[in-house]
Amino acid sequence: MQTQFLGFGLGLRASHFEQIITDKPAVDWFEIISENYFVAGGKPWYYLNKIRADYPVVMHGVSMSIGSTGALNFDYLQALKSTIARVEPQWVSDHLCFSQVGDFNSHDLLPMPYTNEALEHLASRIHHVQEFLGREMIFENVSSYLTYKDSQMSEWDFLAALHNKTGCRFLMDVNNVYVSARNHQFDAMTFLNAIPTEAIAQIHLAGHQDFGSHIIDTHDEDVSSAVWDLFENYAKQLDPVSTMIERDDNLGSLQDLMAELEHARQLVAPIWQLGVNSE
Amino acid sequence: MSDLASLQQQFMAMLQGQDNHLASHIVSDGQLSLSQRLAIYQNAYKLRLRAAIEQDHAQLGIYLGDQLFDKMVTEYLVKYPSNYTSLRFFADELPHYLRNNAPFNAHPILADISYFERCLLIAFDAQEQPLLSIDELEKFTTEQWPTLQLVLHPSVQLMHFNSRAVESWQALKDKQTPPEPYCETTRYWVVARDPERRTQFVNVALPEYRILTLLKQQVNFAQLCQSCINDMPSEKIAGFLISLINQWLERGWLVTTTK
Repeated sequence: MQTQFLGFGLGLRASHFEQIITDKPAVDWFEIISENYFVAGGKPWYYLNKIRADYPVVMHGVSMSIGSTGALNFDYLQALKSTIARVEPQWVSDHLCFSQVGDFNSHDLLPMPYTNEALEHLASRIHHVQEFLGREMIFENVSSYLTYKDSQMSEWDFLAALHNKTGCRFLMDVNNVYVSARNHQFDAMTFLNAIPTEAIAQIHLAGHQDFGSHIIDTHDEDVSSAVWDLFENYAKQLDPVSTMIERDDNLGSLQDLMAELEHARQLVAPIWQLGVNSE
Repeated sequence: MSDLASLQQQFMAMLQGQDNHLASHIVSDGQLSLSQRLAIYQNAYKLRLRAAIEQDHAQLGIYLGDQLFDKMVTEYLVKYPSNYTSLRFFADELPHYLRNNAPFNAHPILADISYFERCLLIAFDAQEQPLLSIDELEKFTTEQWPTLQLVLHPSVQLMHFNSRAVESWQALKDKQTPPEPYCETTRYWVVARDPERRTQFVNVALPEYRILTLLKQQVNFAQLCQSCINDMPSEKIAGFLISLINQWLERGWLVTTTK
């Protein structure tokens, strides 16, 4: 699957719906949270239908729990499939993690151990999910705060092996790489350089909270200077990749987010040889 | 059980405070202690679900105050751990919890406020359906009217309280002091989206509430007329119902129907 370079996008949040429809801001594309549209209708769908008439939209899920050892949740997958049919997104992503085991849903993106067993398990689940959905999925690396003793390889070797085994592509969250690198004291560029560049379908940039001894991935702050530096360095390895700012809490104005997005564009425009409007 | 399955079960048990076997699987590297690393996940789990309840039940939170709200969240998490894939539905059982568990069950207005707030959510994202217009209604012939079934918009939610739950909710939203919690007469309410998709709530009288309840049960117009027979002279029934129907059309409570 090829993913077109869409330019520079934002996560679509309800508090910005009205302004986006009215002002039609110069954002290249929007990413929606898939599960927010697992409802019959009302305002979420009303606004989304208007916005997707003017902008490309991609879907990003938080509840697939692709790494769970529980049975695949076909009710969830059917809801996702139905939503995909209504939204007609450019592509669909979720996270390389587990969230639900049995009936219990943690609503968190919990890290997998980097073992051969987990690799085989993920490869099998990805195959079955993609077969059910009738399309390829993109998976995001998660931030983490612990390392399992059971792990047999690094996270980057694990991702590279998963790509080699399944062909699956990644939504590379550069902030997550930075957060995990600080929390586990590894070199972030070592991580990023280990992933085949052709496996990168999308990039997330986000903010975090730095507590000195560790960092929490909060999505409630501006992108930090360290993450901007990492993104700029990483961009030198890549052909243009659709890039977006992901902000969930402490949401500022749409103008503030667009200013951050413009910074992302300015940073990589000379590297990716983009025009002013990235087209 | 595989190593991976066992590890994942231990992680979930740790989040729910059931045991701490997961600690033996975690690398200790000195930067943070094992307990600090696990606490990051435990805190995130609680904070995320607390935030979901807080967002959906903002006025209930103010009515309770921080201490009781925390107690409610902590106990709700234990009694109703989420089995939903979307946080939108996580607090669906909150009214039931508040109605049946001390100390909250001593104050029925709490369950009423939470139920009202759940109905606002349902109205907010209920399915779209084309609204019925007066022109469409007028196309039905006199012969068709007795078997005509009017259909309520999916956003229309009916509720009745012996408390001033809705008035209290509104007062808190307006940063005012809520009224006395309980009243002598039952209050009947309709929550629904209006034609501009704004969520509205309307206080209705018992006769109108009864008719709306019958519409939810998919009765036809003749049966609606029959239900009014003990409340008013028969010659006034049709006029009473037509007057209500006109109001509902304006409010966007009726959808097109082929029945």
